[in-house]
Amino acid sequence: MAELLRTSGLTKRFRGLVANEDIDFSLDAGAVHCVIGPNGAGKTTFLSMISGHLPPSAGTISYKEKDITALSVAERARIGIGRKFQTPTVFENLTVWQNIELAVLRPGGSAGTPAAKIADVLEAIRLTDEVDTLVRHLSHGQRQWLEIGLLLGNESELLLLDEPTAGMTAEETAATGELVSRLARERSLSVIIIEHDINFIRDLRAPVTVLHLGRILKQGPFDVIAADEQVREVYLGS
Amino acid sequence: MSDAAVKQNTVFVRPASSFWGGETPVAVVVFLGLALLPLFAGGYPVYILPQYLLFGLLALSLGLLWGFAGIVSFGQAAFFAFGGYAMGLVLQAGLGPEGTWLAIAVATLVGGLLAGISGYFLFSAGVRATYFVLITLALSIIAEQVAVSQSQITGGWNGMFVDRLSLGFGPLGEVALYQDVAAYYFVLPVVAAVYFAARALTVARFGKILVGIRENEDRMEALGYQPWVYKTVAFSLSGAIAGLAGGLYASHSNFVSPSLAGVLFSTEVVVWVALGGRLSLFGALAGGVLVSALSNYLSSIAPQYWQLIVGLVFICVIVFFKQGLAGLFADLAAHMLPRRPGGQRHG
Repeated sequence: MAELLRTSGLTKRFRGLVANEDIDFSLDAGAVHCVIGPNGAGKTTFLSMISGHLPPSAGTISYKEKDITALSVAERARIGIGRKFQTPTVFENLTVWQNIELAVLRPGGSAGTPAAKIADVLEAIRLTDEVDTLVRHLSHGQRQWLEIGLLLGNESELLLLDEPTAGMTAEETAATGELVSRLARERSLSVIIIEHDINFIRDLRAPVTVLHLGRILKQGPFDVIAADEQVREVYLGS
Repeated sequence: MSDAAVKQNTVFVRPASSFWGGETPVAVVVFLGLALLPLFAGGYPVYILPQYLLFGLLALSLGLLWGFAGIVSFGQAAFFAFGGYAMGLVLQAGLGPEGTWLAIAVATLVGGLLAGISGYFLFSAGVRATYFVLITLALSIIAEQVAVSQSQITGGWNGMFVDRLSLGFGPLGEVALYQDVAAYYFVLPVVAAVYFAARALTVARFGKILVGIRENEDRMEALGYQPWVYKTVAFSLSGAIAGLAGGLYASHSNFVSPSLAGVLFSTEVVVWVALGGRLSLFGALAGGVLVSALSNYLSSIAPQYWQLIVGLVFICVIVFFKQGLAGLFADLAAHMLPRRPGGQRHG
Protein backbone atom coordinates (compact mmCIF):
# COMPACT_ATOMS: atom_id res chain seq x y z
CA MET A 1 0.00 0.00 0.00
CA ALA A 2 1.20 3.53 -0.78
CA GLU A 3 2.06 5.85 2.08
CA LEU A 4 -0.63 8.48 2.65
CA LEU A 5 0.58 10.44 5.66
CA ARG A 6 3.94 10.96 7.32
CA THR A 7 4.94 13.11 10.25
CA SER A 8 8.63 13.72 10.88
CA GLY A 9 9.96 15.08 14.15
CA LEU A 10 6.55 16.57 14.91
CA THR A 11 6.75 18.66 18.06
CA LYS A 12 4.34 20.97 19.85
CA ARG A 13 5.27 23.10 22.81
CA PHE A 14 2.88 25.33 24.73
CA ARG A 15 5.37 27.67 26.39
CA GLY A 16 7.13 25.38 28.88
CA LEU A 17 4.86 22.38 28.29
CA VAL A 18 5.86 19.82 25.68
CA ALA A 19 2.59 18.32 24.35
CA ASN A 20 4.18 16.33 21.49
CA GLU A 21 7.85 15.69 20.91
CA ASP A 22 9.65 14.32 17.91
CA ILE A 23 6.79 12.18 16.61
CA ASP A 24 7.66 10.12 13.55
CA PHE A 25 4.54 8.44 12.28
CA SER A 26 3.35 7.07 8.97
CA LEU A 27 0.04 5.73 7.69
CA ASP A 28 -0.65 3.81 4.50
CA ALA A 29 -3.61 4.52 2.25
CA GLY A 30 -6.62 2.43 3.30
CA ALA A 31 -5.19 1.65 6.74
CA VAL A 32 -6.86 2.04 10.14
CA HIS A 33 -4.64 3.04 13.07
CA CYS A 34 -5.45 3.61 16.73
CA VAL A 35 -3.74 6.13 18.98
CA ILE A 36 -4.07 5.49 22.70
CA GLY A 37 -2.51 6.89 25.83
CA PRO A 38 -3.39 8.29 29.24
CA ASN A 39 -5.04 11.70 29.58
CA GLY A 40 -2.57 14.45 28.73
CA ALA A 41 -0.44 12.15 26.56
CA GLY A 42 -0.83 14.53 23.59
CA LYS A 43 -3.24 12.50 21.42
CA THR A 44 -5.61 15.34 20.51
CA THR A 45 -2.67 17.71 19.97
CA PHE A 46 -1.25 15.20 17.50
CA LEU A 47 -4.54 15.09 15.53
CA SER A 48 -4.86 18.87 15.70
CA MET A 49 -1.47 19.31 14.05
CA ILE A 50 -2.44 16.91 11.27
CA SER A 51 -5.77 18.68 10.67
CA GLY A 52 -4.12 22.10 10.80
CA HIS A 53 -5.91 23.32 13.93
CA LEU A 54 -2.55 23.71 15.70
CA PRO A 55 0.72 24.74 14.02
CA PRO A 56 3.64 22.51 15.01
CA SER A 57 6.55 24.04 16.89
CA ALA A 58 8.92 21.83 14.87
CA GLY A 59 8.77 19.01 12.36
CA THR A 60 6.89 18.42 9.11
CA ILE A 61 3.70 16.75 7.92
CA SER A 62 3.46 15.29 4.44
CA TYR A 63 0.29 14.00 2.78
CA LYS A 64 0.45 12.09 -0.49
CA GLU A 65 4.17 12.97 -0.55
CA LYS A 66 3.52 16.72 -0.40
CA ASP A 67 4.55 18.91 2.51
CA ILE A 68 1.32 20.28 4.00
CA THR A 69 2.79 21.73 7.20
CA ALA A 70 1.94 25.30 6.18
CA LEU A 71 -1.57 24.62 4.83
CA SER A 72 -4.65 25.99 6.61
CA VAL A 73 -7.48 23.89 8.06
CA ALA A 74 -9.69 24.58 5.02
CA GLU A 75 -6.91 23.76 2.55
CA ARG A 76 -6.24 20.45 4.28
CA ALA A 77 -9.95 19.64 4.25
CA ARG A 78 -10.04 20.28 0.50
CA ILE A 79 -7.21 17.83 -0.16
CA GLY A 80 -8.97 15.11 1.80
CA ILE A 81 -8.12 15.41 5.49
CA GLY A 82 -11.31 15.30 7.58
CA ARG A 83 -11.53 15.83 11.32
CA LYS A 84 -14.13 14.52 13.73
CA PHE A 85 -13.87 16.32 17.05
CA GLN A 86 -14.09 14.92 20.56
CA THR A 87 -17.46 16.66 21.06
CA PRO A 88 -19.67 16.21 17.98
CA THR A 89 -19.23 19.39 15.94
CA VAL A 90 -22.26 19.44 13.68
CA PHE A 91 -24.94 21.96 12.70
CA GLU A 92 -27.35 21.47 15.60
CA ASN A 93 -30.15 23.68 14.27
CA LEU A 94 -30.21 22.18 10.77
CA THR A 95 -31.68 18.90 9.60
CA VAL A 96 -29.62 15.79 8.95
CA TRP A 97 -30.06 16.39 5.21
CA GLN A 98 -28.90 19.99 5.45
CA ASN A 99 -25.83 18.92 7.45
CA ILE A 100 -24.65 16.45 4.83
CA GLU A 101 -25.56 18.88 2.04
CA LEU A 102 -23.12 21.46 3.47
CA ALA A 103 -20.38 18.84 3.40
CA VAL A 104 -21.24 17.81 -0.17
CA LEU A 105 -21.32 21.40 -1.47
CA ARG A 106 -17.73 22.14 -0.45
CA PRO A 107 -15.50 24.02 -2.91
CA GLY A 108 -13.69 21.71 -5.31
CA GLY A 109 -15.92 18.72 -4.62
CA SER A 110 -16.33 16.09 -7.30
CA ALA A 111 -18.99 16.36 -9.99
CA GLY A 112 -22.30 14.63 -9.47
CA THR A 113 -25.79 15.26 -8.18
CA PRO A 114 -25.68 16.49 -4.57
CA ALA A 115 -28.91 14.59 -3.80
CA ALA A 116 -27.36 11.29 -4.90
CA LYS A 117 -24.23 11.91 -2.85
CA ILE A 118 -26.24 12.86 0.23
CA ALA A 119 -28.41 9.75 -0.11
CA ASP A 120 -25.26 7.64 -0.39
CA VAL A 121 -23.77 9.13 2.80
CA LEU A 122 -27.03 8.75 4.74
CA GLU A 123 -27.13 5.10 3.70
CA ALA A 124 -23.54 4.59 4.89
CA ILE A 125 -24.14 6.12 8.33
CA ARG A 126 -27.59 4.50 8.67
CA LEU A 127 -29.48 7.77 9.14
CA THR A 128 -31.87 7.55 6.18
CA ASP A 129 -34.84 7.50 8.57
CA GLU A 130 -33.75 10.75 10.21
CA VAL A 131 -33.31 12.82 7.07
CA ASP A 132 -35.70 15.61 8.13
CA THR A 133 -34.83 15.48 11.83
CA LEU A 134 -33.20 18.50 13.38
CA VAL A 135 -29.78 17.42 14.58
CA ARG A 136 -30.38 18.66 18.12
CA HIS A 137 -33.09 16.00 18.39
CA LEU A 138 -30.71 13.14 17.50
CA SER A 139 -29.17 10.88 20.11
CA HIS A 140 -25.53 11.44 21.07
CA GLY A 141 -24.47 8.38 19.10
CA GLN A 142 -26.35 9.49 16.00
CA ARG A 143 -24.63 12.89 16.20
CA GLN A 144 -21.26 11.12 16.31
CA TRP A 145 -22.18 9.15 13.18
CA LEU A 146 -23.49 12.28 11.50
CA GLU A 147 -20.14 13.95 12.03
CA ILE A 148 -18.46 10.97 10.37
CA GLY A 149 -21.06 11.42 7.60
CA LEU A 150 -19.91 15.02 7.18
CA LEU A 151 -16.43 13.71 6.43
CA LEU A 152 -17.81 11.21 3.91
CA GLY A 153 -19.87 13.92 2.18
CA ASN A 154 -16.77 16.08 2.18
CA GLU A 155 -14.95 13.30 0.29
CA SER A 156 -12.26 13.01 2.97
CA GLU A 157 -9.75 10.26 2.32
CA LEU A 158 -8.09 10.45 5.73
CA LEU A 159 -10.51 10.45 8.66
CA LEU A 160 -9.16 11.78 11.97
CA LEU A 161 -11.58 10.50 14.58
CA ASP A 162 -11.17 11.86 18.09
CA GLU A 163 -12.92 9.53 20.55
CA PRO A 164 -15.79 8.57 18.22
CA THR A 165 -17.45 6.32 20.82
CA ALA A 166 -17.33 8.77 23.73
CA GLY A 167 -20.68 8.75 25.55
CA MET A 168 -22.09 5.89 23.46
CA THR A 169 -24.05 2.87 24.64
CA ALA A 170 -22.51 -0.57 24.12
CA GLU A 171 -24.71 -1.13 21.05
CA GLU A 172 -23.74 2.23 19.56
CA THR A 173 -20.06 1.53 20.23
CA ALA A 174 -20.28 -1.81 18.43
CA ALA A 175 -22.09 -0.17 15.50
CA THR A 176 -19.42 2.52 15.32
CA GLY A 177 -16.68 -0.11 15.16
CA GLU A 178 -18.58 -1.84 12.37
CA LEU A 179 -19.00 1.51 10.56
CA VAL A 180 -15.29 2.36 10.73
CA SER A 181 -14.25 -1.08 9.52
CA ARG A 182 -16.79 -0.94 6.70
CA LEU A 183 -15.64 2.51 5.56
CA ALA A 184 -12.02 1.37 5.43
CA ARG A 185 -12.93 -1.88 3.67
CA GLU A 186 -15.53 -0.67 1.16
CA ARG A 187 -14.37 2.89 0.49
CA SER A 188 -10.61 2.43 0.97
CA LEU A 189 -10.54 5.26 3.50
CA SER A 190 -7.66 5.73 5.91
CA VAL A 191 -8.51 6.30 9.54
CA ILE A 192 -6.63 7.47 12.62
CA ILE A 193 -8.68 6.93 15.77
CA ILE A 194 -8.05 8.20 19.25
CA GLU A 195 -9.91 5.95 21.67
CA HIS A 196 -10.02 4.99 25.32
CA ASP A 197 -12.35 2.00 24.95
CA ILE A 198 -9.96 -0.96 24.93
CA ASN A 199 -12.63 -3.43 23.77
CA PHE A 200 -13.42 -1.19 20.81
CA ILE A 201 -9.74 -0.99 19.87
CA ARG A 202 -9.29 -4.75 20.21
CA ASP A 203 -12.29 -5.44 17.98
CA LEU A 204 -10.94 -3.12 15.27
CA ARG A 205 -7.85 -5.34 14.91
CA ALA A 206 -5.84 -2.30 13.86
CA PRO A 207 -2.23 -1.36 14.69
CA VAL A 208 -1.83 0.80 17.77
CA THR A 209 0.45 3.69 18.71
CA VAL A 210 0.80 4.45 22.40
CA LEU A 211 1.60 8.04 23.34
CA HIS A 212 3.01 8.87 26.75
CA LEU A 213 4.10 12.32 27.90
CA GLY A 214 3.94 13.53 24.30
CA ARG A 215 6.24 10.89 22.87
CA ILE A 216 5.65 7.57 21.13
CA LEU A 217 6.04 4.87 23.75
CA LYS A 218 5.24 1.81 21.62
CA GLN A 219 3.79 0.87 18.25
CA GLY A 220 2.50 -2.47 17.06
CA PRO A 221 -0.45 -4.86 16.83
CA PHE A 222 -3.01 -4.67 19.66
CA ASP A 223 -2.09 -8.04 21.18
CA VAL A 224 1.59 -7.13 21.43
CA ILE A 225 0.79 -3.68 22.84
CA ALA A 226 -1.71 -5.08 25.33
CA ALA A 227 0.91 -7.55 26.60
CA ASP A 228 3.69 -4.96 26.90
CA GLU A 229 4.73 -4.39 30.51
CA GLN A 230 5.65 -0.74 30.01
CA VAL A 231 2.31 0.04 28.30
CA ARG A 232 0.38 -1.77 31.01
CA GLU A 233 2.22 0.26 33.62
CA VAL A 234 1.64 3.74 32.13
CA TYR A 235 -1.78 3.25 30.54
CA LEU A 236 -3.59 0.05 31.21
CA GLY A 237 -2.73 0.32 34.89
CA SER A 238 -1.94 -3.31 35.62
CA MET B 1 -25.24 2.59 -4.60
CA SER B 2 -27.28 2.04 -7.74
CA ASP B 3 -29.16 4.84 -9.49
CA ALA B 4 -32.45 3.14 -8.70
CA ALA B 5 -31.62 3.06 -5.03
CA VAL B 6 -30.59 6.71 -5.08
CA LYS B 7 -33.82 7.67 -6.81
CA GLN B 8 -35.79 5.72 -4.25
CA ASN B 9 -34.05 7.50 -1.41
CA THR B 10 -34.34 10.96 -2.92
CA VAL B 11 -38.12 10.63 -2.90
CA PHE B 12 -38.05 11.40 0.79
CA VAL B 13 -34.65 13.04 1.18
CA ARG B 14 -35.76 16.13 -0.67
CA PRO B 15 -33.94 19.45 -0.36
CA ALA B 16 -35.16 21.33 2.71
CA SER B 17 -35.91 24.63 0.99
CA SER B 18 -36.88 25.85 -2.42
CA PHE B 19 -37.52 29.21 -4.03
CA TRP B 20 -41.27 28.72 -4.37
CA GLY B 21 -41.75 27.29 -0.89
CA GLY B 22 -42.24 29.19 2.36
CA GLU B 23 -42.54 32.94 2.15
CA THR B 24 -42.35 33.43 -1.64
CA PRO B 25 -46.11 33.01 -2.38
CA VAL B 26 -46.88 35.51 0.40
CA ALA B 27 -44.42 37.98 -1.10
CA VAL B 28 -45.92 37.53 -4.59
CA VAL B 29 -49.42 38.26 -3.28
CA VAL B 30 -48.26 41.32 -1.32
CA PHE B 31 -46.30 42.79 -4.24
CA LEU B 32 -49.28 42.21 -6.59
CA GLY B 33 -51.55 43.90 -4.06
CA LEU B 34 -49.17 46.84 -3.81
CA ALA B 35 -49.09 47.06 -7.62
CA LEU B 36 -52.87 47.55 -7.61
CA LEU B 37 -52.85 50.12 -4.79
CA PRO B 38 -52.65 53.30 -6.95
CA LEU B 39 -55.84 52.16 -8.73
CA PHE B 40 -57.75 52.50 -5.46
CA ALA B 41 -55.80 55.03 -3.43
CA GLY B 42 -53.95 58.15 -4.45
CA GLY B 43 -52.36 61.11 -2.78
CA TYR B 44 -50.29 60.60 0.36
CA PRO B 45 -50.12 56.76 0.42
CA VAL B 46 -48.78 56.66 -3.14
CA TYR B 47 -46.31 59.42 -2.31
CA ILE B 48 -45.00 57.94 0.95
CA LEU B 49 -45.09 54.18 0.29
CA PRO B 50 -42.01 54.15 -1.96
CA GLN B 51 -40.01 55.68 0.87
CA TYR B 52 -41.23 53.01 3.29
CA LEU B 53 -40.47 50.35 0.68
CA LEU B 54 -36.93 51.69 0.40
CA PHE B 55 -36.59 51.53 4.18
CA GLY B 56 -37.83 47.97 3.77
CA LEU B 57 -35.08 47.35 1.21
CA LEU B 58 -32.56 48.71 3.71
CA ALA B 59 -33.95 46.30 6.32
CA LEU B 60 -33.70 43.47 3.78
CA SER B 61 -30.01 44.30 3.30
CA LEU B 62 -29.49 43.69 7.02
CA GLY B 63 -31.83 40.67 7.02
CA LEU B 64 -29.65 39.00 4.40
CA LEU B 65 -26.59 39.57 6.54
CA TRP B 66 -28.00 38.98 10.01
CA GLY B 67 -30.54 36.27 9.25
CA PHE B 68 -28.41 34.15 6.95
CA ALA B 69 -24.77 34.83 7.87
CA GLY B 70 -25.43 35.66 11.54
CA ILE B 71 -23.62 39.00 11.19
CA VAL B 72 -25.19 41.98 12.95
CA SER B 73 -24.22 45.29 11.38
CA PHE B 74 -24.87 48.73 12.83
CA GLY B 75 -23.31 50.21 9.70
CA GLN B 76 -26.17 49.81 7.23
CA ALA B 77 -27.19 53.46 7.57
CA ALA B 78 -23.70 54.51 6.47
CA PHE B 79 -24.05 52.60 3.18
CA PHE B 80 -27.60 53.93 2.76
CA ALA B 81 -26.52 57.56 3.25
CA PHE B 82 -23.41 57.26 1.08
CA GLY B 83 -25.62 55.75 -1.65
CA GLY B 84 -27.81 58.83 -1.30
CA TYR B 85 -24.88 61.25 -1.55
CA ALA B 86 -23.45 59.33 -4.52
CA MET B 87 -26.81 59.56 -6.28
CA GLY B 88 -26.97 63.30 -5.64
CA LEU B 89 -23.41 63.96 -6.80
CA VAL B 90 -23.76 62.01 -10.06
CA LEU B 91 -27.10 63.66 -10.82
CA GLN B 92 -25.48 67.07 -10.20
CA ALA B 93 -22.92 66.25 -12.90
CA GLY B 94 -25.70 66.88 -15.43
CA LEU B 95 -25.30 63.76 -17.54
CA GLY B 96 -28.93 63.85 -18.66
CA PRO B 97 -31.55 61.10 -18.48
CA GLU B 98 -29.07 58.42 -19.66
CA GLY B 99 -26.79 59.42 -16.78
CA THR B 100 -29.54 58.45 -14.33
CA TRP B 101 -28.70 54.78 -14.82
CA LEU B 102 -25.09 55.63 -14.02
CA ALA B 103 -26.21 57.43 -10.86
CA ILE B 104 -28.19 54.37 -9.74
CA ALA B 105 -25.21 52.11 -10.49
CA VAL B 106 -22.77 54.39 -8.65
CA ALA B 107 -25.03 54.59 -5.57
CA THR B 108 -25.17 50.78 -5.52
CA LEU B 109 -21.44 50.42 -6.10
CA VAL B 110 -20.50 52.94 -3.41
CA GLY B 111 -22.47 51.00 -0.80
CA GLY B 112 -21.05 47.69 -2.05
CA LEU B 113 -17.47 48.92 -2.19
CA LEU B 114 -17.53 50.55 1.24
CA ALA B 115 -18.90 47.35 2.74
CA GLY B 116 -16.59 45.16 0.66
CA ILE B 117 -13.41 47.00 1.63
CA SER B 118 -14.25 47.19 5.33
CA GLY B 119 -15.53 43.60 5.29
CA TYR B 120 -12.36 42.33 3.62
CA PHE B 121 -10.07 43.81 6.27
CA LEU B 122 -12.30 42.83 9.19
CA PHE B 123 -13.26 39.30 8.19
CA SER B 124 -9.84 38.30 6.84
CA ALA B 125 -8.37 39.44 10.17
CA GLY B 126 -10.80 37.13 11.97
CA VAL B 127 -12.97 39.88 13.52
CA ARG B 128 -16.19 38.23 14.66
CA ALA B 129 -19.37 38.68 16.68
CA THR B 130 -19.39 41.53 19.21
CA TYR B 131 -16.15 43.03 17.94
CA PHE B 132 -17.62 43.26 14.44
CA VAL B 133 -20.77 44.94 15.81
CA LEU B 134 -18.66 47.52 17.65
CA ILE B 135 -16.63 48.29 14.54
CA THR B 136 -19.77 48.76 12.43
CA LEU B 137 -21.04 51.15 15.12
CA ALA B 138 -17.81 53.11 14.71
CA LEU B 139 -18.33 52.98 10.93
CA SER B 140 -21.68 54.76 11.32
CA ILE B 141 -20.14 57.42 13.54
CA ILE B 142 -17.31 57.98 11.05
CA ALA B 143 -19.75 58.14 8.12
CA GLU B 144 -21.88 60.75 9.90
CA GLN B 145 -18.80 62.81 10.79
CA VAL B 146 -17.52 62.66 7.20
CA ALA B 147 -20.93 63.79 5.94
CA VAL B 148 -20.85 66.73 8.36
CA SER B 149 -17.21 67.73 7.91
CA GLN B 150 -17.11 67.54 4.10
CA SER B 151 -19.77 70.23 3.84
CA GLN B 152 -18.41 71.62 0.54
CA ILE B 153 -19.46 68.31 -1.05
CA THR B 154 -22.29 67.09 1.15
CA GLY B 155 -23.82 70.35 2.35
CA GLY B 156 -22.97 69.48 5.97
CA TRP B 157 -25.89 69.59 8.41
CA ASN B 158 -27.96 71.41 5.78
CA GLY B 159 -27.94 68.24 3.71
CA MET B 160 -27.97 67.82 -0.05
CA PHE B 161 -30.85 68.33 -2.44
CA VAL B 162 -31.29 65.38 -4.77
CA ASP B 163 -33.58 65.70 -7.76
CA ARG B 164 -36.20 63.12 -8.75
CA LEU B 165 -34.99 60.70 -11.40
CA SER B 166 -35.66 60.92 -15.11
CA LEU B 167 -34.87 57.63 -16.83
CA GLY B 168 -33.43 57.77 -20.33
CA PHE B 169 -34.24 55.00 -22.81
CA GLY B 170 -32.14 56.22 -25.76
CA PRO B 171 -34.15 56.77 -28.93
CA LEU B 172 -37.34 55.68 -27.12
CA GLY B 173 -37.24 58.83 -25.03
CA GLU B 174 -37.33 59.27 -21.27
CA VAL B 175 -39.60 58.57 -18.34
CA ALA B 176 -39.63 61.24 -15.65
CA LEU B 177 -40.44 60.15 -12.10
CA TYR B 178 -41.61 63.56 -10.92
CA GLN B 179 -45.17 62.27 -10.61
CA ASP B 180 -45.72 60.18 -7.51
CA VAL B 181 -47.50 57.41 -9.41
CA ALA B 182 -44.57 57.10 -11.86
CA ALA B 183 -42.10 57.02 -8.97
CA TYR B 184 -44.25 54.40 -7.23
CA TYR B 185 -44.25 52.15 -10.28
CA PHE B 186 -40.48 52.47 -10.53
CA VAL B 187 -39.61 51.84 -6.89
CA LEU B 188 -42.05 48.94 -6.35
CA PRO B 189 -40.64 46.68 -9.13
CA VAL B 190 -37.07 47.54 -8.11
CA VAL B 191 -37.77 46.52 -4.50
CA ALA B 192 -39.60 43.38 -5.66
CA ALA B 193 -36.78 42.46 -8.06
CA VAL B 194 -34.10 42.88 -5.38
CA TYR B 195 -36.22 40.85 -2.93
CA PHE B 196 -36.72 37.95 -5.37
CA ALA B 197 -33.03 38.03 -6.39
CA ALA B 198 -31.97 37.95 -2.73
CA ARG B 199 -34.50 35.19 -2.06
CA ALA B 200 -33.10 33.14 -4.95
CA LEU B 201 -29.60 33.67 -3.59
CA THR B 202 -30.53 32.47 -0.13
CA VAL B 203 -32.01 29.18 -1.35
CA ALA B 204 -29.05 28.62 -3.70
CA ARG B 205 -25.67 27.19 -2.71
CA PHE B 206 -24.42 30.60 -1.50
CA GLY B 207 -27.31 31.02 0.94
CA LYS B 208 -26.89 27.51 2.30
CA ILE B 209 -23.21 28.16 2.93
CA LEU B 210 -24.05 31.40 4.75
CA VAL B 211 -26.46 29.48 6.98
CA GLY B 212 -23.70 26.94 7.67
CA ILE B 213 -21.37 29.78 8.68
CA ARG B 214 -24.08 31.24 10.91
CA GLU B 215 -24.63 27.91 12.59
CA ASN B 216 -21.04 26.74 13.02
CA GLU B 217 -18.23 28.71 11.43
CA ASP B 218 -15.47 26.44 12.75
CA ARG B 219 -17.13 23.33 11.29
CA MET B 220 -17.48 25.07 7.92
CA GLU B 221 -13.76 25.80 7.96
CA ALA B 222 -13.04 22.16 8.79
CA LEU B 223 -15.19 21.20 5.77
CA GLY B 224 -12.93 23.20 3.45
CA TYR B 225 -14.76 26.53 3.27
CA GLN B 226 -13.11 29.89 3.85
CA PRO B 227 -15.86 31.63 5.84
CA TRP B 228 -14.26 35.08 5.64
CA VAL B 229 -14.61 35.07 1.83
CA TYR B 230 -18.35 34.29 1.97
CA LYS B 231 -18.88 36.80 4.77
CA THR B 232 -17.09 39.50 2.78
CA VAL B 233 -19.23 38.78 -0.29
CA ALA B 234 -22.41 38.81 1.82
CA PHE B 235 -21.43 42.09 3.48
CA SER B 236 -20.64 43.62 0.06
CA LEU B 237 -24.01 42.54 -1.32
CA SER B 238 -25.72 43.87 1.76
CA GLY B 239 -23.89 47.20 1.39
CA ALA B 240 -24.79 47.37 -2.31
CA ILE B 241 -28.50 46.83 -1.55
CA ALA B 242 -28.34 49.48 1.19
CA GLY B 243 -26.56 51.86 -1.23
CA LEU B 244 -29.21 51.29 -3.91
CA ALA B 245 -31.99 51.87 -1.37
CA GLY B 246 -30.26 55.03 -0.14
CA GLY B 247 -29.78 56.40 -3.65
CA LEU B 248 -33.42 55.87 -4.59
CA TYR B 249 -34.60 57.19 -1.22
CA ALA B 250 -32.56 60.40 -1.57
CA SER B 251 -34.01 60.96 -5.03
CA HIS B 252 -37.56 60.21 -3.94
CA SER B 253 -37.45 62.39 -0.82
CA ASN B 254 -35.28 64.99 -2.62
CA PHE B 255 -32.93 65.07 0.33
CA VAL B 256 -30.03 63.35 2.05
CA SER B 257 -28.46 64.50 5.32
CA PRO B 258 -25.82 63.25 7.83
CA SER B 259 -28.45 61.91 10.22
CA LEU B 260 -29.24 59.19 7.66
CA ALA B 261 -25.69 57.86 8.15
CA GLY B 262 -25.73 57.91 11.93
CA VAL B 263 -25.87 55.39 14.74
CA LEU B 264 -29.48 56.24 15.67
CA PHE B 265 -30.79 55.43 12.21
CA SER B 266 -28.61 52.31 12.04
CA THR B 267 -30.12 51.16 15.33
CA GLU B 268 -33.61 51.72 13.92
CA VAL B 269 -32.72 49.38 11.04
CA VAL B 270 -31.70 46.68 13.52
CA VAL B 271 -35.04 47.17 15.32
CA TRP B 272 -36.99 46.87 12.03
CA VAL B 273 -35.31 43.59 11.21
CA ALA B 274 -35.72 42.17 14.72
CA LEU B 275 -39.42 43.07 14.69
CA GLY B 276 -40.02 41.80 11.16
CA GLY B 277 -38.07 38.58 11.68
CA ARG B 278 -34.42 38.20 10.92
CA LEU B 279 -34.70 34.64 9.62
CA SER B 280 -37.02 35.73 6.81
CA LEU B 281 -36.08 38.16 4.05
CA PHE B 282 -39.70 39.12 3.56
CA GLY B 283 -40.09 39.52 7.33
CA ALA B 284 -37.16 41.95 7.36
CA LEU B 285 -38.59 43.84 4.38
CA ALA B 286 -42.04 44.01 5.95
CA GLY B 287 -40.48 45.06 9.27
CA GLY B 288 -38.79 48.00 7.55
CA VAL B 289 -42.00 49.09 5.84
CA LEU B 290 -44.39 48.61 8.75
CA VAL B 291 -42.24 49.91 11.59
CA SER B 292 -41.09 52.99 9.68
CA ALA B 293 -44.74 53.67 8.76
CA LEU B 294 -45.80 53.12 12.39
CA SER B 295 -43.00 55.39 13.63
CA ASN B 296 -44.06 58.09 11.19
CA TYR B 297 -47.69 57.81 12.28
CA LEU B 298 -46.87 57.78 15.99
CA SER B 299 -44.51 60.74 15.64
CA SER B 300 -47.39 62.75 14.18
CA ILE B 301 -49.92 61.88 16.90
CA ALA B 302 -47.57 61.55 19.88
CA PRO B 303 -44.39 63.43 19.02
CA GLN B 304 -42.99 63.15 22.55
CA TYR B 305 -43.73 59.49 23.14
CA TRP B 306 -43.47 57.71 19.80
CA GLN B 307 -39.91 56.44 20.39
CA LEU B 308 -40.98 55.13 23.78
CA ILE B 309 -43.91 53.27 22.20
CA VAL B 310 -41.71 51.76 19.44
CA GLY B 311 -39.18 50.78 22.12
CA LEU B 312 -41.85 49.01 24.16
CA VAL B 313 -43.10 47.16 21.08
CA PHE B 314 -39.49 46.14 20.37
CA ILE B 315 -39.02 44.78 23.90
CA CYS B 316 -42.32 42.85 23.74
CA VAL B 317 -41.44 41.26 20.41
CA ILE B 318 -37.93 40.31 21.56
CA VAL B 319 -39.28 38.79 24.79
CA PHE B 320 -42.35 37.01 23.40
CA PHE B 321 -41.60 36.46 19.68
CA LYS B 322 -37.87 35.98 19.22
CA GLN B 323 -38.32 35.23 15.51
CA GLY B 324 -40.26 38.47 14.99
CA LEU B 325 -43.53 38.85 13.12
CA ALA B 326 -42.39 36.45 10.38
CA GLY B 327 -41.79 33.77 12.99
CA LEU B 328 -45.20 34.43 14.52
CA PHE B 329 -46.93 34.06 11.15
CA ALA B 330 -44.88 30.95 10.33
CA ASP B 331 -45.97 29.38 13.63
CA LEU B 332 -49.62 30.26 12.91
CA ALA B 333 -49.33 28.79 9.41
CA ALA B 334 -47.73 25.64 10.83
CA HIS B 335 -50.70 25.18 13.17
CA MET B 336 -53.24 25.75 10.43
CA LEU B 337 -51.58 23.75 7.65
CA PRO B 338 -50.83 19.98 7.67
CA ARG B 339 -47.55 19.33 9.47
CA ARG B 340 -44.49 17.81 7.84
CA PRO B 341 -41.92 15.84 9.81
CA GLY B 342 -38.80 17.65 10.96
CA GLY B 343 -38.13 21.35 10.93
CA GLN B 344 -36.92 23.91 8.50
CA ARG B 345 -35.08 27.07 9.24
CA HIS B 346 -35.78 28.68 5.91
CA GLY B 347 -38.64 27.77 3.72
